[in-house]
Amino acid sequence: MRLRAWIGAAAVIGGAIAAYLTVVHYTHTSPICTSGGCEKVQHSSYAQAGGIPVAVLGLVAYVCVLLTAAARGVPAALAGAVIALAGAVFSGYLLWAQLARIHAICQWCIGNDVVIAVVAALCVVRVLTEPDST
Amino acid sequence: MLVAAAVGGAALLAVVLILVVGKSSTATTTTATAPAIATAAKLFAGIPQHGNTIGKASAPATLIVYEDPQCPFCREWNVQTLPTVLDQYVRTGKLKLVYRGVVIIGPDSVRGLRAIGAAAKQNKLWNLVDALYARQGAENSGWITNSVIVAAASDAGANGPAVVAGMGAPSVGATLTTWQSQAKADRLQGTPTFVIERPPAVSQQLPVQGLDPATFVAALAAALQ
Repeated sequence: MRLRAWIGAAAVIGGAIAAYLTVVHYTHTSPICTSGGCEKVQHSSYAQAGGIPVAVLGLVAYVCVLLTAAARGVPAALAGAVIALAGAVFSGYLLWAQLARIHAICQWCIGNDVVIAVVAALCVVRVLTEPDST
Repeated sequence: MLVAAAVGGAALLAVVLILVVGKSSTATTTTATAPAIATAAKLFAGIPQHGNTIGKASAPATLIVYEDPQCPFCREWNVQTLPTVLDQYVRTGKLKLVYRGVVIIGPDSVRGLRAIGAAAKQNKLWNLVDALYARQGAENSGWITNSVIVAAASDAGANGPAVVAGMGAPSVGATLTTWQSQAKADRLQGTPTFVIERPPAVSQQLPVQGLDPATFVAALAAALQ
């Protein structure tokens, strides 16, 4: 139960970051930024996947992880781990894009990278320790 | 076993996402390119241009447009909404548009803006901006080559070799510096940004909730009331 609570809490933090970037995207405003690169990343074509803002995908992913954290059992643990690990890999790709293609760093993206890495690690631990696990 | 399944599923999902993003980031150049080029000549036909200004000098209001040639949202506004603004406000003499380019994204933005600044000397700035958006590539991938500029200038009705030759001119560099200073004075926080000037009223940023024609024109109409 405690592990699921930690996953939920981390997902809420990640969801808050994603929600903020979603609002920024749809209101065409600039994110609060001390790294100086948020605007550049925000306007990059890497900020969208198939026309959908990456921030929206992140928000949906965190909500899904939150829902899996609220549920017991192996299927929920497995679903949470799949989503979180995919999110972590995708965030790694976007980090590469920031460094190698966009040449700018967005502090919100880095914050998200840290959160999704934590969520993914917790979800893997959960899969390994879930009572129904075989 | 379960962890392996999770990793496998996650890898599959991540690969799909990366392929989708990678495809959209490299495909920017091709989307809407042909229609944009085909309609560019019609878009600006019959509207007077001087330097970075398009529209009648007697227009009572001015819309200053801050853009970066690499900015996807700027391209979106130019492709979707500029034609409506030109038809409803510029051709009718209600408004003139002033272009000011700013470097938001990187080195290719500087090359693009130098070309745009050089095209202003041929009074083809707006045409070249449009022609470059029609060819917009991945950010800072080196897409604004001399051959791209010459081809875009040709579509814009400008002298391509003269545009390329003029990119390094000190006067063009000074223009870019001026635009950057004006952007700072107008408290630019991103692109595109729109500033409305309607003397004697104090100039102000146009509050825009969306870049689509209906939303933008509604905001413009409210500001001009």
